[in-house]
Amino acid sequence: MLFLAIRHLLSRKRQTTLIFLGISMGTMMFAIISGLQLGMREFIVDRLLSNTAHIKISARDQSVDKNKMTQRFYPGGEVINWLTPPSGKREEAHILYPQGWFNRLSDDPAVYGYSPSLSMSVIISKGDTRYPAALTGVVPKLYEKVLDINRYIKIGSLDVLDNGGNRVIVGDKLLENLGAKVGDNILVSAGKGELRPLKIAGVLSLAIEEIDKTLMIASLNDVQQLNKTPGQINEISISLLDINRAQELAHLWSLASRDKVQSWDEVNANFLEIFVFQDIVRITVTTAILIVAAFGIFNVLSIIVNQKRREIAILQSIGYPPNMIMQLFLIQGVILGFSGAIFGLIIGYGLNLYIATIELNIHIGAGNHLIISSDPSIYITGFLMAFISAIIASLLPAYTASKMTPIDIIRSEI
Amino acid sequence: MTIVCKNLIKSFGEPPNEVIKGIDLEIRNGEFISISGRSGSGKSTLLYLLSTLDTPTSGIITIDNQEPDKLSVEDLHKFRNQHLGFVFQFHYLLAELTALENTLLPARKNGNQDEISVFVNELFERFDVNSTKNKLPSQLSGGEQQRIAIIRALSMKPRYLFADEPTGSLDSVNGKIVMDILTKANSEWGMTLVLVTHEEEYAEMAETEIFLKDGLVI
Repeated sequence: MLFLAIRHLLSRKRQTTLIFLGISMGTMMFAIISGLQLGMREFIVDRLLSNTAHIKISARDQSVDKNKMTQRFYPGGEVINWLTPPSGKREEAHILYPQGWFNRLSDDPAVYGYSPSLSMSVIISKGDTRYPAALTGVVPKLYEKVLDINRYIKIGSLDVLDNGGNRVIVGDKLLENLGAKVGDNILVSAGKGELRPLKIAGVLSLAIEEIDKTLMIASLNDVQQLNKTPGQINEISISLLDINRAQELAHLWSLASRDKVQSWDEVNANFLEIFVFQDIVRITVTTAILIVAAFGIFNVLSIIVNQKRREIAILQSIGYPPNMIMQLFLIQGVILGFSGAIFGLIIGYGLNLYIATIELNIHIGAGNHLIISSDPSIYITGFLMAFISAIIASLLPAYTASKMTPIDIIRSEI
Repeated sequence: MTIVCKNLIKSFGEPPNEVIKGIDLEIRNGEFISISGRSGSGKSTLLYLLSTLDTPTSGIITIDNQEPDKLSVEDLHKFRNQHLGFVFQFHYLLAELTALENTLLPARKNGNQDEISVFVNELFERFDVNSTKNKLPSQLSGGEQQRIAIIRALSMKPRYLFADEPTGSLDSVNGKIVMDILTKANSEWGMTLVLVTHEEEYAEMAETEIFLKDGLVI
């Protein structure tokens, strides 16, 4: 029936072309929108995963409890009416029993690496300039195993922090804002009265301005000394052998600890919610286009089935059974769906390649052009959506045609 | 090799309107039989019943000792393809196919169009339509269209040829050409020819003439 189906399609060039273009347009739009959205998503996720561990264990903030304070100061059970009830944080949050975590993580075969750290807000002084920053103290060898940080270090390397020595690696925007350069000393205060000189030994850039203008990394010992909390950490970053187990393991570990244990997707839930919204928009737009194209197929095939009643009658009278009549019209839908989808995806792919070369006045990552994803799943999904909707749209007209009998058609013609 | 029908009744609608009212008939192998009668007498209905395109309300039809009613859909269509040929008043050619492609449609169903095309090419020459092979139906005259439709009906060398007023839409010259072809198919190749016509001249050409009135053979 392929021969006849192709002849049917070729005999109605205008209608065939319009439907073909409708399907092509749908798949092309899907490829472009998906390429753009997923490209940006891959970029964001890549950056997130580069500076976010698969699982993060952090200290839980402890607030002052009015009842506990009452019990402590008045253990006799007196009735106390506080004029100003005690409130606020009890102390700086830190992980109470880090060694317990280290032992557990070292023994867990699912863990690839872990890195203890102490993060704190600091004030940087350089000359007359005061600048807020986020200082993180790490053990370089452990930190490298968890986060691919060296990839973003533009000058120097994480190894310069190995032996302490009050060295620091700073974000490129922070360096720019401070008007400093590698080798300069800056004074850093943890708000505990002491200004400690740190030497800029490296520069990194995550290409996320908000982070790059505050980020500072130093050795864990140096940061603990600056904070006057030797041996204390407030975070453990963990990388797993299988990132897909992050949620499951975070949940499991959180059951046995009062520390906050979060998987990377929980930490970045806001970003991921945006991705879900993007998916909905993308699929809605594409579905709308494909529905229009599918209605086109349905309408045209329905009209053709009516117009071709005589041909259906003669085909049945010369021995073509109903299933072959059904095939005749179904094949037309399949050809339109298949060729329209392939053509649309090829054009979409070509346009994606072109869009990726357009230079913009914004910085995205290391470049100034849009990041387009060429994930094969985009093209496979686009093809399947178009192909399946074309088949569904052809089914009813094809079924109607197969149910016609030659005698009914001939009688209605008389 | 015969078509036999017994007490054939066909009615339509509710309450039932009997168009064929109990016909007994036997058509022998190789016979040329004409069915005529006034409009509404039931002659086309009888032809469609005999040719398996329609099913009787009651009564039995057997073709070569087989009851078409009892065949599966697949087998019935296979039977039509291999043993029955149809010529209608209108040519019913497929507009998007050339004349040659139209005539090879029955063979294409079985994938043996190469084998059948030798015979079909002979028919094109014999019926003086050789020059029309690669033309679309819309480029042919009415007479040529009907000759192509007859070649299509003859292409599988069917044992039974059913013609429903094949000259009805043609002028007298083309009508004679068509009748000449049909009678030759009967006399030279031994095809059983069942012709429905309202033209007395053509009805008289048959070995057996049947005249229908109000659904009965008179």
